[in-house]
Amino acid sequence: MIPLLGLAVGVVLGLVLDPTVPLWLQPYLPIAVVAALDAVFGGVRARFDRIFDAKVFVVSFVSNVVVAALIVFLGDQLGVGAQLSTAVVVVLGIRIFGNAAAIRRHLFRA
Amino acid sequence: MTAPAPGRQRSLGASLLDQVLAETLDPAYAQAAARRAELAAGPGEPGAAPAAAARPGRARRRGQLLVALTLLLAGLLAAVTYREAAAGSQGRERVRQALAEDIDQESASTDDLARQLTRLDAQVSTRRDQALAASVEGQRALQQLSAAERGAAVQAVRGPGLTVVLADADASADSDPVGGSPTVAKAGLVQDGDLQQTVNALWAAGAEAISINDQRLGPTTTIRQAGSAILVDFRPLSSPYRIRAIGDQQQLSNRFIASPEASYVVGLAKDYGLSFTIARSASLTLPAGTAPELHSARPLTPAAGTAAPSTPDRSTPGG
Repeated sequence: MIPLLGLAVGVVLGLVLDPTVPLWLQPYLPIAVVAALDAVFGGVRARFDRIFDAKVFVVSFVSNVVVAALIVFLGDQLGVGAQLSTAVVVVLGIRIFGNAAAIRRHLFRA
Repeated sequence: MTAPAPGRQRSLGASLLDQVLAETLDPAYAQAAARRAELAAGPGEPGAAPAAAARPGRARRRGQLLVALTLLLAGLLAAVTYREAAAGSQGRERVRQALAEDIDQESASTDDLARQLTRLDAQVSTRRDQALAASVEGQRALQQLSAAERGAAVQAVRGPGLTVVLADADASADSDPVGGSPTVAKAGLVQDGDLQQTVNALWAAGAEAISINDQRLGPTTTIRQAGSAILVDFRPLSSPYRIRAIGDQQQLSNRFIASPEASYVVGLAKDYGLSFTIARSASLTLPAGTAPELHSARPLTPAAGTAAPSTPDRSTPGG
């Protein structure tokens, strides 16, 4: 319950405060969101599998976001930004779908 | 998504894909759970038991707080990204609006200036006519000027004639009913060559004055195509193109219809769906063409005893 509350508060804060993101950071926001989504889905699935660990969740969340943004940034510097961004999104998407399938199995079978 | 059966020959690429598909959940969760189970089932020292029992409660609370904080961050990130995306599209729309307004404003001021120019032109002509009418040489000059202006299409004219209308093909004429677009196919658009041929045929048939969509054609007026727009006298016109020609109705229509250009345009209409109509009109009014630019002028000097006075040097019509 408390985690969900945290999510809701975060969304409301973001919409109300409307912080201005520095220009150089703006292209990496969408990738960061997808990476965050992957970590959240992983956490939910771990919860259903009863192996959830708060420390692992936090570390995986932060590292996912930072590494994804770093990879895309590196790609931009090398000139393959679009391709690397596509690759990151593809892999994260596969993971999200895998976790979502496991969650679905838990929800509708158990 | 399960890993393939063990013992099967795999290539390096295949094993990478297998790994990605099979390990969608961070293996760190399983490891942490294993470690927790180890600790719980491990050698429980008598003194550590109560401490270990009290720890889980606080640790759980702290864990939940950390998770809540992380989810707060996630929510913030999502909301901020959404805001940026929405603001971006709004910003682009506003820029587009501002540019459209600028264009409208400038067009309005250009039209204003054009109207002012016409008015001042008329004033200058009136003064000139008044000044010239004062002397005999001036009146002769005025007659010559009048004839030249008629030839240069600078005077409005009225009379019977022909109206020829050329229009782009209908949008539905050439498009695929299932996946076609509502725009006209390129081949169905009227081109400058078509208009040029029609106008040439009308001149040859004996037209005395021609205008396209109320743009009078003078001796140096051009009909050109720039991109997808047709420019007559450097002004863009759009379909349908109404070509009005003043002349003897009978002769004009007979000779025009018999001309090879007319049959060419009829062929175009049949093949590409252009629309081509000819109609006689009892009374057509054609506006004056754009006044030519004045490049040089010489004052009229009344020569003593000579029959032909020097006339003011008029620039060639069309500037």
